[in-house]
Amino acid sequence: MIEVQNLMVFFENALALNDFSMKIEDGEIVGVIGSNSAGKTTLMNTLSGLIIDMRVKEKRKGGERITVYGKILYRGEDISGMSPSDRVRKGIVLSRERHPVFPESSVLENLKIAGYLRKQSEIREGIEYAYRLFPALVALKRRKAGFLSGGEQQMLAIGMSLVVRPKLLLLDEPLLGLSPMLQKMLVDAICRLKDEFGTTVLVTEQFARPVLPIIDRGYVIENGMLTLTGTGRELMDNPEIKAAYFGI
Amino acid sequence: MKKRKERIDRGIKVRSEDIFALSSWREMLYFAAPRVIPVAVFILLPLVLGDYWQRVYLSVAVFALLAISWDILSQSGMISLGQALFFGMGAYCSGVLNHYFGISPFLTIPIAAVVGGAICTVMLLPVLRLRGVYFSMVTLIIPLMLERVIEATKIFGGTEGLSGLDVLPSKWLEMYILVAAMIAALFGFRRMMTSDYGLVLTGIKDNDRSVMNAGINIYWFKIQALFIASAVGAFAGAMMTHVYRFVGMPVFALDYSILPIAAVMVGGPGSFAGAVLGAFILVPLSEALRALGGLRIVFYGVFLVVFVVGMPEGIFHFIARKYSQFERWAEVDK
Repeated sequence: MIEVQNLMVFFENALALNDFSMKIEDGEIVGVIGSNSAGKTTLMNTLSGLIIDMRVKEKRKGGERITVYGKILYRGEDISGMSPSDRVRKGIVLSRERHPVFPESSVLENLKIAGYLRKQSEIREGIEYAYRLFPALVALKRRKAGFLSGGEQQMLAIGMSLVVRPKLLLLDEPLLGLSPMLQKMLVDAICRLKDEFGTTVLVTEQFARPVLPIIDRGYVIENGMLTLTGTGRELMDNPEIKAAYFGI
Repeated sequence: MKKRKERIDRGIKVRSEDIFALSSWREMLYFAAPRVIPVAVFILLPLVLGDYWQRVYLSVAVFALLAISWDILSQSGMISLGQALFFGMGAYCSGVLNHYFGISPFLTIPIAAVVGGAICTVMLLPVLRLRGVYFSMVTLIIPLMLERVIEATKIFGGTEGLSGLDVLPSKWLEMYILVAAMIAALFGFRRMMTSDYGLVLTGIKDNDRSVMNAGINIYWFKIQALFIASAVGAFAGAMMTHVYRFVGMPVFALDYSILPIAAVMVGGPGSFAGAVLGAFILVPLSEALRALGGLRIVFYGVFLVVFVVGMPEGIFHFIARKYSQFERWAEVDK
């Protein structure tokens, strides 16, 4: 579905992603595992096109220069230079880390804003779709998003990306700062997303334990370099992964 | 092989920041030139200028002080749209003291700087707790309001203003007091912002709640920053009053609010040097365009927009980067 070829991203002289290649097939859940500053968020920003916007802004400010090499192929088409909004139209939707929501708007309004690109009827469907996956949101419909707890905001943030009906959903650290119970709920929701709706999911996480069992394939990156790849099972049995991420 | 542009600090910059700087003239020059040359230019410029351009230079220094005062506020997280308040308050303070009480300019100017600064600080105290645009709105409105108050109540000469004020004994004295003030403000405040005290102020701008969490009373620091900035502005106003021997409603005009902001945006915010550089570019330019009359405000506005959109870092930061770093093509290796 999407293929990343030899991606290199520089932030000024610092190399954030080094020659990274990956491939995601239709209907897969793929995980990218890595510690802090491994380049996970950079990968997500590059896939969703946000880095293009960042590059322009930094250039005007005279700040860090961002250089991107490599190719991103989506269904055989090169989308490396495509703007973030066009990528969303094509079905690549990112849910950013630290669950950004519009704090002054209610939950329902947040979902509506997120679906702006789609037609009215599609938005209604999309919102129902989000509610089906996260039933907890229904009761919070009228609440201001800024007053929700971290977990609820995370559900809302993912719900917002679902309203657009993504074909490829990018989840950047969805489990960050959530309780083990909420983490489990969210992981289940990701599984249901794949089973019921056939959405392809790419999820990055530094806390590998809850994610590894559900992913079809995983990539482990360290300092922007791919160190290990394999199916979820293979990664779980790998002694190095066990030592680094499970502490066994 | 793919290539990309690399940005690297110049060797001489790294060396001259170290103790080895003292071992070679070249490095000493590299380190000292950006500091000594501007100061020399500031001091020598009045000697080569004609009468008319000396006057322009005076207002350059005044606007440079106002721009520095704006930059102090903006670096402490307060975006002011009313430098005219500080300027006008200082101007009226010294004008009133001189006109009604006959106090010599040598006393009125320092008194006006302190008292004017204190009055402005007190006036803005109620909005200090507000963040973001509210502070800006209030600072924008107060000078316009004071202008109308003077017009309506006819205090301090009303629309006529107070004229025939005492002047400083020599034009060289007033020139060099202003130049010295500009140099002192430029280097003094640069130093202040890099000290621990300045660190707190920039911290308030970046994240005021974290500063509160560190056990610091941010309002007290904001009051101090506000007083410093308004005293600088009031000093500029008091000087200008005695140069023109007149104080009236125009001291609260929008020019004194907009031009300093434009100067900082053109020169580069956050360094004070940018503020001075911006004043040195904009004031003479606007003087050259005097024929345009009221359209000059449009011209500041256009400059402001062009620089905010196209070069938000400002000229100073651009030059500083070129001075300390160079670029080269490097191969992307895997």
